[in-house]
Amino acid sequence: MGIDGIKIIELLTIAMFFVGFYGLITSKNIIKSIIFVVLIETAVIMFFLGLGYQSGALLPPIGESFNNDTMAYVSDPLPQALMITAVVIGLSTTAINIVLFITLFRKYQTANWDIIKSIKNLE
Amino acid sequence: MLIYFVIVPILLAVFLYLFPFERAARTIAILAQMGLVGASVYLFTLSRENSVVTAIGNYDDVLGIFLRADTLSAVFILLTSFIFFIAAIYSFNENKSRLFWFLLFIWEGSLIGIFLAGDFFNLFVLTEVATVTITILIMYDRNKRALYDGIIFFMVNIVVVQFYLLGLGYIYQLTGVLDLEAAGAAFQGLERSQMILPYALVMTFVALKCALLPMFSWLPKAHSTPGAPPAVSAVLSGLQIKGGVYLLIRFQAIFGDGAMPEFFLILGLTTALFGIILALVQVDFKRILACSTIAQIGLIVVAINIGNYYNYIGSLYHMVNHAVIKAALFLCAGMIVHSYGTRDITKIRGIMRQMPLVGISMILALLGIIGMPFFNGSISKYFMMYHVEGPLFWIMLLINLGTIMIGIKLSAMLFGRLEEKEKPTQDILQLISVLILGLMCFGLGVFGESVMLILFNGEFRMDWFGYLEKSAIFAASLVVGYFIFNKFIKNNPYLKTIREIELGFRGMCVTMGVFFALILLVAGI
Repeated sequence: MGIDGIKIIELLTIAMFFVGFYGLITSKNIIKSIIFVVLIETAVIMFFLGLGYQSGALLPPIGESFNNDTMAYVSDPLPQALMITAVVIGLSTTAINIVLFITLFRKYQTANWDIIKSIKNLE
Repeated sequence: MLIYFVIVPILLAVFLYLFPFERAARTIAILAQMGLVGASVYLFTLSRENSVVTAIGNYDDVLGIFLRADTLSAVFILLTSFIFFIAAIYSFNENKSRLFWFLLFIWEGSLIGIFLAGDFFNLFVLTEVATVTITILIMYDRNKRALYDGIIFFMVNIVVVQFYLLGLGYIYQLTGVLDLEAAGAAFQGLERSQMILPYALVMTFVALKCALLPMFSWLPKAHSTPGAPPAVSAVLSGLQIKGGVYLLIRFQAIFGDGAMPEFFLILGLTTALFGIILALVQVDFKRILACSTIAQIGLIVVAINIGNYYNYIGSLYHMVNHAVIKAALFLCAGMIVHSYGTRDITKIRGIMRQMPLVGISMILALLGIIGMPFFNGSISKYFMMYHVEGPLFWIMLLINLGTIMIGIKLSAMLFGRLEEKEKPTQDILQLISVLILGLMCFGLGVFGESVMLILFNGEFRMDWFGYLEKSAIFAASLVVGYFIFNKFIKNNPYLKTIREIELGFRGMCVTMGVFFALILLVAGI
């Protein structure tokens, strides 16, 4: 399903990517920035999952032998394998991001990018 | 075999973290690091004949995961292991914390991995590992400023890597492979218009890693944050940024027709000019060095994208030289800042009197970077400007003039006299590491031609008449630079306003978007 060969999921995920990017540009709160980073990551993951999708395709034969005739009807498992890694990396970077924010918050007592920047310049 | 170059530093890091006797552990680390330098030399000799390839898990298919070491990677691996070796010697007595040594070697493993990786996805994973370790090392002493710099560095890199990942998805959709070489071959048969979107996405990532013009703002923060140990700043400025330039070289080659060398040429020129202006107005020692890195990277990017073989080789050699020089300067800066207790260059005077050996290596490094004849910078700059003519030649000359002015600005610290204070105690290992780097600046210049012959495996003849001409130009620009610096730049009140230019996180995201739009626009035309 799609317009001119472009899948709808591709359009939607790109839109989601840039919505997240817009959020990064506009939000002053660090927590919001972290959430928008997660949104962008999710968009990229969805994009990859869309790559492997074909309508009516079979499950990839894992652990079984298969011949080249059925190969064309099997959906591509590689993007999903990549995205498992990306999900794990995304999880850990988000965790680190939040830890960094907590330490930052303890020092500056604020979650606002602009205020933190001006406090830092005073020193 | 190549897998050990990534695994051994990481295992070493874990060992250092767990081994109960700290001093013994650090000695073992230095010895292992020495072994790694030896192994990289061996790898280098192997890669001169044929590129060394390892298929992970012995799955020798285009869908498998490969590590590849051609001459380019081997040179960078040699450089990486050497600079980390020096950094380890420097930190031997200074840093006793286990966390530091752990992170340092994890970083080394991931950096070598970036130079070896043969596919797009491993590059993504290893860059993320490097980003995390660097962030923790930047905010090492957890003061206010370092925390801010660290979180900015981290978040900017996390955001930009998503651009890369999206571009990777498009590349996979177009070519069906993730392998760098196979993708390069597949791009040959594609239309240029199909490549625009993945190219723009991937290059946004690479340009941020190289700190090209709109997206440079994270670099002075990350490279010059006060809390970071000097060895970390040295490796960051000497090596980490070269990882970005390495990716630029690789990706430009992969995209073939879709690449836009002219765009990056102009971008490099503006970056270099801007970096020089930025460096000239700072007063913070480490920040000047960081801004000068921006300028030199700009110059390297220019020479890569001229498209001439000699200029390309010159820029590779300049990367080696710049790594040595910047490591030397940052380590010197670490010692000087430690003994004077300030980073303000207007308050530091008389280094030659106080710490003569550090002063000497700093002079050697400064002479290297300004391109003094017979020092390493002059050789690489000679080749970078080889047969460059017209306005480009004059702009590159102007950039070198700016570099000379930065050198003059820094050299003011060496002489003069401050009120008498007792001679600071200096760590002998730190002195040795700084002196090795300083002497290398001279050695890589005097034996420049033969070193280039060994490193890049080609015939490089210097035209001595042309070199003399370049030396004369250097002498003239030294005089002009001295004059301009003292007349217009020193104590200029207007320039101080530029010093405060600094983007926050949101500003950096805007520049990312602007760059992405710009590259799409230029590619579309």
